[in-house]
Amino acid sequence: MKMQRISIFTIKLIILMVLPLTSFAQEDPEIQEIQEIQEKNVNDTIIVKQKYGLRLGGDIGKLVRSFIDEDYKGFEISGDYRLTRKLYLAGELGIEERTIRNDYLDVTANGSYFKAGIDYNMYGNWLDMENLIYTGLRVGASTFSQNLNSYKIYTTDQYYPPFSSLDSQDFKGLSAIWIELVIGVKAEVLTNLFVGFDVQLKGMIAEDQPSNLENLYVPGFNRTFDSGRFGFGFGYNVSYLIPIFKKNKKIPVEN
Amino acid sequence: MKHKKAHKNIKVLLSFLILAGLWSCERDDICASTTPTTPHLIIRFYNINASGETQTARHLSVIEEDSDTYLVYDKTIDSLVLPLRLDALDNLNTSRFVLTKDTDYDLDEDPNTVSNSDIIEINYTPELIYVSRACGYKSVFNDASATRETDPSNWIIGIEVINSTINNEDAAHINIYH
Repeated sequence: MKMQRISIFTIKLIILMVLPLTSFAQEDPEIQEIQEIQEKNVNDTIIVKQKYGLRLGGDIGKLVRSFIDEDYKGFEISGDYRLTRKLYLAGELGIEERTIRNDYLDVTANGSYFKAGIDYNMYGNWLDMENLIYTGLRVGASTFSQNLNSYKIYTTDQYYPPFSSLDSQDFKGLSAIWIELVIGVKAEVLTNLFVGFDVQLKGMIAEDQPSNLENLYVPGFNRTFDSGRFGFGFGYNVSYLIPIFKKNKKIPVEN
Repeated sequence: MKHKKAHKNIKVLLSFLILAGLWSCERDDICASTTPTTPHLIIRFYNINASGETQTARHLSVIEEDSDTYLVYDKTIDSLVLPLRLDALDNLNTSRFVLTKDTDYDLDEDPNTVSNSDIIEINYTPELIYVSRACGYKSVFNDASATRETDPSNWIIGIEVINSTINNEDAAHINIYH
């Protein structure tokens, strides 16, 4: 059963990859003209039903990582609602706890976040298939705390024993807001069940910094970088579509 | 046409992401040696008889009073770079250094020449300052003051704090006159 599912998924992925190439071959202007004429002629179009509804899912990657990485705990649920043939209203809601340690610092970020925005399906599907290769835009916001668990003062001199502190210090009530550019795929592997992968490029707009420390990690945003306000993230999702209504999609017949 | 546009978009986005990915390869997890961290105390030796003229201390050895490792051993120099003790933040901390001039006189066979040790005491208040992800915290030392213990034969005649905030290693913090 499992093997079968995997093979179906693989085949679908191959189709996803190959399909754009075949559609490329049809972009001769003359053919397009013919297509336009055909589109006007109702008799020469196929009408397929497209499912519209609410898709709900969870991030499997974060869940797995929570079990294997002792410095990480996180979960994210996601949802999208189809507005038009290509446009989706999309959002995520999640919690994360992440400890970052090195020789000199040990800090735990803990908090929750939500992201809201749109997904735009760039992929023209075959007939009634409803897979997505999409790009999206999000606004993300997070409220979190930073806990300085311990530190050791950095010095280039080894003459005295180093000064370190285990006094935990908590910085509560911090928040951050950022934007995200998303690119990803979602493939329908079983009826209404989708598996997807996406990567996010993030740009911090504003964040509260703990006093005499900085946000090394912001829940939802991921780790920060010294060089600037950019960040990255990725997700591995499984989601289920709850169909609410159906709409027709007209497909011109090519011959 | 629409397909072509979409493909172009995907290509642009992908190159964006690859570029962004390269960014993440930067090593901001290693504390660069050029980053100013916990500073050393810098002392300069001046000639007591000619103001503004540096004067080397002959065959100088320096050790922190409670330590058994020399910081400087048998060197003729006109400045010192010394680490400061850090026992408690935001409190008065003390470092005591034994400065021994003419170290070589103890090593030779001549019983008429001996070295001369003076003790200087530096008091200051360490302050914790966040530097970066890789370097963590550094300490700077505020409100520094310095004294020399009086003994029957001091070679150090005067000690003066010229920069009571020790937060960099760009210039001397203390002048010693001899």
